[in-house]
Amino acid sequence: MALITQTYLSLLSFWSTLMARTGNKNIQAKLVLLGDMGTGKTSLVLRFVKGQFYDYQESTIGAAFFTQILSLNEATVKFDIWDTAGQERYHSLAPMYYRGAAAAVVVYDITSMDSFIRAKRWIQELQRQGDHCFLTILFIDLLGNPNLVMVLVANKTDLETKRKVETEEGERYAQENGLLFIESSAKTAQNVNELFYEIAKRLAKACPMPPTGIKLHNETQGGRRLFCCTG
Amino acid sequence: MADYPSIDPSSFDLIVIGTGLPESILASASATAGKTVLHLDPNSFYGNHFSSLPLDHFSSFLQSHSHCHSQQPNISPPTSSSNCLHLKHNNLFSHVHISNPHSEYLGPSNKFSLDLSGPKLLFCADPMVNIMLKSGATYHIEFKGVDATYVYRGDGDDKLMTVPDSRSAIFKSSVLTLKEKRQLMSFFKTVQEHILELEAALTSNEEMRRARTISDEELECPFIDFLTTKGLPSNIKSIILYAIAMADYDQETPLLRKDFVIKTKDGIKSLALHNMSLGRFVNASGALIYPIYGQGELSQAFCRCAAVKGALYVLRMPVTALLIDKESNCYKGVRLASGQELFSHHLVMSPSFTVPLSSTISSIRDVQGDSSESSSRSDVEGLVARAVCITRVSIKPDLSNLLIIFPPRSLYPEQMTSVRALQLGSGLAVCPPGLFVLYISTMCDAVAQGKELLHAAMNALAHLLSRKHESSTTMESDCVEEDGPNFLWSAIYVQELRKGSSEIIVSCPTPDGRLDYRDMLDSTIKLFHEMYAEVEFFPETEDAENAENDE
Repeated sequence: MALITQTYLSLLSFWSTLMARTGNKNIQAKLVLLGDMGTGKTSLVLRFVKGQFYDYQESTIGAAFFTQILSLNEATVKFDIWDTAGQERYHSLAPMYYRGAAAAVVVYDITSMDSFIRAKRWIQELQRQGDHCFLTILFIDLLGNPNLVMVLVANKTDLETKRKVETEEGERYAQENGLLFIESSAKTAQNVNELFYEIAKRLAKACPMPPTGIKLHNETQGGRRLFCCTG
Repeated sequence: MADYPSIDPSSFDLIVIGTGLPESILASASATAGKTVLHLDPNSFYGNHFSSLPLDHFSSFLQSHSHCHSQQPNISPPTSSSNCLHLKHNNLFSHVHISNPHSEYLGPSNKFSLDLSGPKLLFCADPMVNIMLKSGATYHIEFKGVDATYVYRGDGDDKLMTVPDSRSAIFKSSVLTLKEKRQLMSFFKTVQEHILELEAALTSNEEMRRARTISDEELECPFIDFLTTKGLPSNIKSIILYAIAMADYDQETPLLRKDFVIKTKDGIKSLALHNMSLGRFVNASGALIYPIYGQGELSQAFCRCAAVKGALYVLRMPVTALLIDKESNCYKGVRLASGQELFSHHLVMSPSFTVPLSSTISSIRDVQGDSSESSSRSDVEGLVARAVCITRVSIKPDLSNLLIIFPPRSLYPEQMTSVRALQLGSGLAVCPPGLFVLYISTMCDAVAQGKELLHAAMNALAHLLSRKHESSTTMESDCVEEDGPNFLWSAIYVQELRKGSSEIIVSCPTPDGRLDYRDMLDSTIKLFHEMYAEVEFFPETEDAENAENDE
C-alpha cells in the first residue's frame, strides 16, 4: 500500500508541476443547485454533464452528485455538482449541503411566478447559510477574494409562450443582489454550457481553497502491517 | 400554529421519526433496500441528540430537553377506524449547568458547532467507517485525524504521557524504560501472531488451529489477567486497557460488574482494530478521526444518502400520536401535528419519544418469548455525564486535536470509570480560530458521582492549561478565577442511556458513553434485521461512487 501511496503522491506532484509550468490552475469546486421542485435543476446538470434531456425527468432519485471538468485557458475546473436529492421539497436541506460550496445555482421556471418568488427565498437562505458555513467563506475572505459565486437561472425558455416571469424582472433582482443572471433551456441546451463556463471563469479568478480534510476511500486498505511505524 | 405542508403520498413502507444517527442509518439502509421511507423530525435541524449546534442553540436544546422542562401532549380526537396513542416526550438530559464567565471572548454563536453527545471519534478501521463507505455517506464528509492520545497520570512531573500505540511511538517514547519497551514489543508481537492465526483460520483451517499463540481458555479470561500473565507492568497495562482498548470501567477492581469485564478476545479485537486503523488512510496519522463540522454531519450524510435513494424528508414536523388499528390492535400509522394521518408497515422512533404502553396493544410481529424485555423496555440503562468547555489555549501548544484519557484512579482513588477528554481546534470548523472546544465524558451510576468526576477532570485540565499560560504569559491574570478558571464557557449535564428496542415499534438507542460508534452501530443493525429479517444491511455494490458519472 505504501507503494501505491508513493505512486499516487508522485503523480500528484507531477501533475502540480505540470500545472505550474503551463501556468494553469487546477481548481476543484463544489457547486450546489437550489430552487423549487420541477424547475429543472437536474435537467440542467444532465444536459451539461451528459448532453441528455428527458421530457419527463423524474424527481431526483439515485444521484448524489455529478462531476464534470471544464478546461479554460487560465485553469482547469473540476465541478462537484451536488443535487438536492429531493430534500428541497419540504424545505429540509441539511447545512451539509451548503458547506464549502464555491458556487450556487438558483433555478426558477419562467412559466411559474411562484418558483421565482421562492427562488428569492432560496437566495436569502443561501446568504444566511453562507454566514453559518463559515469555513470556506472565511478562507476566501482572508485571501481577499470574492465570496461564493451565485447565479440566478431562469430556466425553460423553450416555453416562451407560457412565460409568466419577464426577463427584466429576473435580471433586476439578480443585479440588486449581486448575482449573475442567465436565461436557459435544458431542453434546447440554450445557454447551459455558457452557464457553467461563466461560473468556471469566475472561479478561476476567485481560486477557491482546496479541501483540507481527509476523504475516505475504499481502496486504501492498509493496517495489515501490524504494529508497524506509520511515520 | 405553524403552517404545516401536506405530505404526499400518505402511505409508506417505513416512517422514521427523529433524525438521530441510528434513525438516519435505518432510513438510509431501508431506502437502499428499496423500501419507501418517510423521515420526519419535529426539529428544524438534523441529528437530534447526535447533532452539532451553534452555541446558543446548544444551550437551549440542553435546557428544553432536560427533566425540569415538561411538554404537554396534544390531545387529538380518535378517528373512527383507529385508536390513538399519544406520544410522550422523553427528556434525556438532566442537571444541566451552563457557566458563562467570559462570553465576551467567544464571538458569534454560529461560529460554533458543538456536539450534544461528545466526545465521540471514529477508528479508521471501524465498522462505522465501512458502513459509511458502503452507503456513500463518506462522499459528503471530510475528516481530520486526532493528532495524539495522552494518558493522564496524577503523579509525576509530566502529567500527560503520550500513548505508545505503534512501533515507532514505543521506540521514541521517553517515559518507557528499555525493559518496558521490550515487554510492550513482545506483547504486541504475541497479539499480532494471534491475529494472523485468526486470519489464517478463516482461509485455511485445521493445521493452523493446532499451534495457537493464545489458547481458547485464555481468550475467555479477563483481559487484565492476560496482560498480567504476559508480565506487563501496571502502567503499561493501564495504557493498553484504557487508552487503546478504551475500557470504560476499572478492570482492576474485584468489585467490577461481570458484564463490564473485558474478555481477552474482546481486548485483542480492540487492539486489532486500533492497529488496523493506523495508516489505513493517507494523512490520518493516528488511529482516530473526527468529521469536520462535528459529529452532526454523520446523521446528515446518512439522511442525504437516504434521500438520494428516494426517502422523503420533512423537518419541522411533529408527530402527535400513533394510530392503532381497532380490529387487529396493530400499529398502522401516525398522526402529524397538522392533523394529517399517514400510514406505514413499520415505524422507527427516536429515543426522544415513548409510547405509553397499553396492555391492549399487541405487537406487530410475533415477539418470540422475549416478554421479559417489554417490562424493561423504557428503563434507563445507566447515565453518562458530559461536559463541553471552550478555552483560549491548547493543552499542548503545538497540537490542536488531541485525546486525553484519565484512567480509573488517576484523578482520585475512588474513580471507578475512565474519563475521556477530547480537545478540538478551529481546523475542524467547530469553533472560531484561536479557540478550542473540550468534550469530556464519563459513565456513572449516580448524578453526583458523574459530576464529581467531570469537575475533577476539568480541574486537572485547567491546571494543565494554566501551566501553559504561565509559560506564554500573554493572558491577563483576571482570567484565572475559581470556577473554571481557563474556561470561557462550559456546560455540564447528565444524559440517560437507553438501549434500542423493537417491540410494538422500533425505538432507537440514545447516544452511548463509548468513545466510538461500534456499539451503536451493532444495535442499529440488529434493529434493522428485526424489521427486515431477509434483507441485507447495505449490500456490497460495485463502486457506488462513480456509478452516476461513468456509464
